[in-house]
Amino acid sequence: MSVAPVLLAQADAAGAAAVTLARLILVVPEMVLLTGAVVATILGLSRSRALRDATPAAVVISLLAAMLLVPLVHTPERAEAAGLLMPMLGKPVRMAICAIGAMLCLVSIGLVDRRIEAAFASGRAAFDPIRVIRGEYYAFFLLSVTGLMLVSTANDLIWLFLALELTSLPTYIMVAISRPSRRALEAAVKYFFLGALATATFLYGFAMLYGAAGTLILTEMRDVFAAQAAAGGLGILAVLGLILAILGVAYKIAAAPMHFYAADVYEGAASPVTAFLAFVPKAAGMLALMLLLGTVGWHGHSVVDDSGARIFHDGLPRAVLYALWIIAAMTMTLGNVGALLQSSAKRMLAYSSIAHSGYMIIGLIAGPGLGLNSVLFYLLAYGVMNTAAFAILAGLERQGEEIESLADLAGLARRHPLLAAAMAISAGSLIGLPPLLGFWGKLYLFIGGIQAGQIGLVIIACINSAISAWYYLRLVGLPLLSPPTPQAEAVVPTPSIWPRVAALSGAAAILLLPLLVQPLVEAAQGATSATPADFAVVLRGAGAPAP
Amino acid sequence: MSPFALLAATGTATVPIDAASAAAAIPAAIARPELAWAGWILWLPAISAILCTACAAFRVKGKLPAWITIGLLGIASVLVFALYGRVDGPTTIHLFDWIDIAWTGRGPDAPREGIVASFAFYVDGLSLLWMCFVVPLGTLIALYASEYMEPDVGRGYPRFFAGVSIFLFAMSCLVLGDNLVLLYLGWEGVGFASYLLVGYYYTKPSAVAAAKKAFIVNRVGDLGLALGIFLIWLNYGTVEYDGLFHALAASGGEGEAGWSVRAIPFLLMLAAFGKSAQLPLYVWLPDAMEGPTPVSALIHAATMVTAGVYLIARTYPLFHLDPLALPLVAWVGGLTALFAATIGMAQHDIKRIMAYSTISQLGYMFLGLGAITAYGAVYHVFTHAFFKAVLFLTCGAIMHGFAGQLDLRKLSGLAWMPGWRVVAWTMLVGCLALAGFPGLSGYFSKDLILAEAFVSSETRPGWGYAFLGWLGLATAAMTAYYAFRVWFRVCAGPVHFEPGDEAHDAAEDHGGHDGHADHAGHAAAGHDDHGGHGSGGFHPHAPRLAINGVLVILAIGAVLAALPCFIGGDAAHPGWVEWMAARSSAASGVPPHDVHAHPAAFFGLDPHKAMYYVSAVFGIVGLSIAAWLHLLDRGAADRLRNALLAHPLLRWIPLGAERKWYVDELYDIVIRMPLWFLGHVLGFIDRYIVDGLLVDGIARIPRFFGRFIQPLQNGVLQGYAVAMAGGIAFIVAGVVVLFWIWRLGA
Repeated sequence: MSVAPVLLAQADAAGAAAVTLARLILVVPEMVLLTGAVVATILGLSRSRALRDATPAAVVISLLAAMLLVPLVHTPERAEAAGLLMPMLGKPVRMAICAIGAMLCLVSIGLVDRRIEAAFASGRAAFDPIRVIRGEYYAFFLLSVTGLMLVSTANDLIWLFLALELTSLPTYIMVAISRPSRRALEAAVKYFFLGALATATFLYGFAMLYGAAGTLILTEMRDVFAAQAAAGGLGILAVLGLILAILGVAYKIAAAPMHFYAADVYEGAASPVTAFLAFVPKAAGMLALMLLLGTVGWHGHSVVDDSGARIFHDGLPRAVLYALWIIAAMTMTLGNVGALLQSSAKRMLAYSSIAHSGYMIIGLIAGPGLGLNSVLFYLLAYGVMNTAAFAILAGLERQGEEIESLADLAGLARRHPLLAAAMAISAGSLIGLPPLLGFWGKLYLFIGGIQAGQIGLVIIACINSAISAWYYLRLVGLPLLSPPTPQAEAVVPTPSIWPRVAALSGAAAILLLPLLVQPLVEAAQGATSATPADFAVVLRGAGAPAP
Repeated sequence: MSPFALLAATGTATVPIDAASAAAAIPAAIARPELAWAGWILWLPAISAILCTACAAFRVKGKLPAWITIGLLGIASVLVFALYGRVDGPTTIHLFDWIDIAWTGRGPDAPREGIVASFAFYVDGLSLLWMCFVVPLGTLIALYASEYMEPDVGRGYPRFFAGVSIFLFAMSCLVLGDNLVLLYLGWEGVGFASYLLVGYYYTKPSAVAAAKKAFIVNRVGDLGLALGIFLIWLNYGTVEYDGLFHALAASGGEGEAGWSVRAIPFLLMLAAFGKSAQLPLYVWLPDAMEGPTPVSALIHAATMVTAGVYLIARTYPLFHLDPLALPLVAWVGGLTALFAATIGMAQHDIKRIMAYSTISQLGYMFLGLGAITAYGAVYHVFTHAFFKAVLFLTCGAIMHGFAGQLDLRKLSGLAWMPGWRVVAWTMLVGCLALAGFPGLSGYFSKDLILAEAFVSSETRPGWGYAFLGWLGLATAAMTAYYAFRVWFRVCAGPVHFEPGDEAHDAAEDHGGHDGHADHAGHAAAGHDDHGGHGSGGFHPHAPRLAINGVLVILAIGAVLAALPCFIGGDAAHPGWVEWMAARSSAASGVPPHDVHAHPAAFFGLDPHKAMYYVSAVFGIVGLSIAAWLHLLDRGAADRLRNALLAHPLLRWIPLGAERKWYVDELYDIVIRMPLWFLGHVLGFIDRYIVDGLLVDGIARIPRFFGRFIQPLQNGVLQGYAVAMAGGIAFIVAGVVVLFWIWRLGA
């Protein structure tokens, strides 16, 4: 049990100040990122071409600086003092976010301002700060990543809500400015309106949770709900609030029934932004779900049988469990079936990223221990392999337009063997072929699911993995086996080499990170346990319901 | 005991050595976390691989990659010897957790299961022995290659050394790993490195084909290894050696073992036969000679191909699970030894002769394993590593100096040529050791195996060990013959040579060419004036310090490798190698015996003593025949061949041996053709039935449903909003219903 409520209850000024100070120091990395965002805005508007080109470098440097700061500021004592629900969650998660964020930034180098920069360079247009958008793009990029990082250190519902919105709002604009086409604008508008609907949903849920618990602070909510569950079960207000919050956040992770936007938006945005959308809001949603479910917990819930006796059971409250079960099964199946018949590589990856959210929900259902650890591990694996796959699409173009269709990849191995190899590795990992990173992610998820008794869901996930092989293998087969078509012959690498660098480093990570499986899972283990004592309990494998 | 015991005794009882007691004999490993610095034996080659890759990426000109590799591998060698000095008996050194998955079944009493495979070392006599020659040999051969690969500086040079570094990383994983998963990682890693290096001259179609062949043939064996590991985990619940031996010792032996236990040794055997090029999976090794010669010496002679021997020696207790397992190993080894030797006698390409000789010698090692003398097998691995490395490297020096010439009919009198003396005399040392000439290292290690085969015929009658012993002796004579056929042809006799087909571009492009058309022209030009000292303007460039130095060091090693047979051990195990092997799993199940009291299995004599004389006689007979046919009267060899060819009943002997007994052709018909046919049938089915009927048919279903879903996924914003709201309403209504009707939360 956390010491934070005790500290707050004392209500003396020194104690409150200590908590505030601890929280402020915890978010120093985010402050670095905000500074980076300001610097990016200024650099992007600079008169000098060299300075403008340095904007992404500022982004990457601030991300790496934040990554190095995280372990320094996120000490167990400080996290405990700040009164967080999962005190150490922010440490490995924020480091991984910064690393993947840097990779995402590399992917988007050379995306915006290409035409206008060419016009400036050729002298067809005079430099005009109004017409360059690079500064905005990278600033919003960093703002969104900041929001994601803030989610992991949220300690109350307001913070969680603001962090989620800080993650999402910049992405609407990034979609709109990612490329000069009407489809991008259309995608942005759809994304924004439907996002507003989803936000309204989870805000409604938050309000109901507040009504049920009488507090907004996550640790206090946990204690209140634990008391309610022990006393006679959670009330309908708490359960409905949680369900609505889950459904609203499901939009961020593109889970059914909130997934409808995904294919259109992912297709309409430029590939680097799609890669961003497929990771950053999704990770934010997953972390938010983890915290929300953490308030009710995976222990001590009961059902009432016909005789009126209460029967305690492991796991989430049954109503929440069933809702998540349906969401997971529908998400996996709809994502994979949707991806089956796509001819556009981007749309296919968009649908498939829906399916990956479904797999991760299994881990959320399974709960502390292997379940939550595997969600974090899978988030990392998914971030690396999905970004690598999108980076290859982003690193290729045909007549100045980004490539979209699968047919453009035909015979890629003849001209760009490294990119084709990276594509094969990413696709293999997304399928979950051993010994690649995705295999370990799925292995841990599925074992976590089986251990929690969700064998049915794991079987559905396995069938879906098999289905996914059908379309992912096209990403292997077309580049490696098919003869190049005239259309595919016209595909050339983009002028900027950085997307290709990101693709290759992603492929290298897919190959090499499996060597570090256990250290990574242990980092996740440290992150998801509520307190050091819980950590020890989980390591012993004890899972008895709380008295 | 009759030499034809095979015919006389069939189906008689064997001496039972049960797996449980064999495993129980292995002492439990002691964890020594303070030795964690030994991890650098792995990390140094890995760093070297990364740095060499960086050199390749930045197109470094010069020999920097070679110096990086030699330096880091040199430090790794020092670490190996430092580790050797600090380890006594089985020791585990834990580096970091790699895979540690545990799960519990449902219910409070459900057993806790899982799989643990750490990055950890299992260090005992066996793994130390292997490391003691793998890493130093790798360093020496990298030094040799720094000169040998000179023509590629600025091009493939960093790629080559990156491949060598990856190989040593993987080989160290394989040998030092404390569990079968790490061994598997190394096993695949060395296969991958071998693929990269065999296909090093990737513009040469034959090299690419050879690389693919090596990789694909090895898949068959690797399948065996994977299935073997699965079954081991299934039956014993662990893949760590220490736990495995413990579980095996507790299991009670072979008495009630089911098929899934008995299958383990056969699956592991299949893996070993693939990696170590035994019948029927040996076909990739001769072709692998397409790689640069230092690679052939390091990977395809001294180290990687012995991984199969290591695997069996490491999991030796498991081979007592089925009484058929070890005799099968012995038979495959014995037959491979003979078979490869017959092919080796008839080849003209000296590197290929060495390749077949490697297969043949590996056959001896398996014969040794099968005859329950893992000590003999391991000793032969040790001596073979030195003398075969010398032989390959001398072949490489010749190839390097004579523009790719490897045909023993076109080279002669090397020993009398200035600058080539070191090559010729070190090659003589290698040939003598290979031929088992009395007093040299190969003589002692081979005798151990042969003698033990005759001992086994007494202790385990009915499996035909005596027959295998005679096969081994015959092979020894053949070995002496083909080894000295090479030496007498190439190094002795009158001086004359013709350059190989790389003469036209040796200065600028070593290897990466495909000029078969040019070959004929140059060969013809060579014939015109080979009377004098070489042809036209061609001057062989004699090896310099790096190559000569490495050759001398290795030749001295090949001579000195005889010593560990007699010194360096303790009272019970006089030889160092025997002492090392005795302190490892390789000794398990070996009946304790007094060195001086063997059954008189060889015509009433102690086979160990008798073999010293008998095998020496066989070796000298082979050597003498070679001297007659290839030194004293070189025409006689051709006359003999023509006489055989003219004989209607015997002409198959030279024809078959020269064409490698048509095994490649046989595999083509038996394996490739049916697969090709099957592929076309499946392709037809895929195109016209699966794609035509099924996929289009199935595609109609989503399209049919699509008509109903279309309004939902048509890109219209309101539609999406309604769908989302509907979904929310559905789930919320469901929860409310559940809540009230089933009172789930109440």
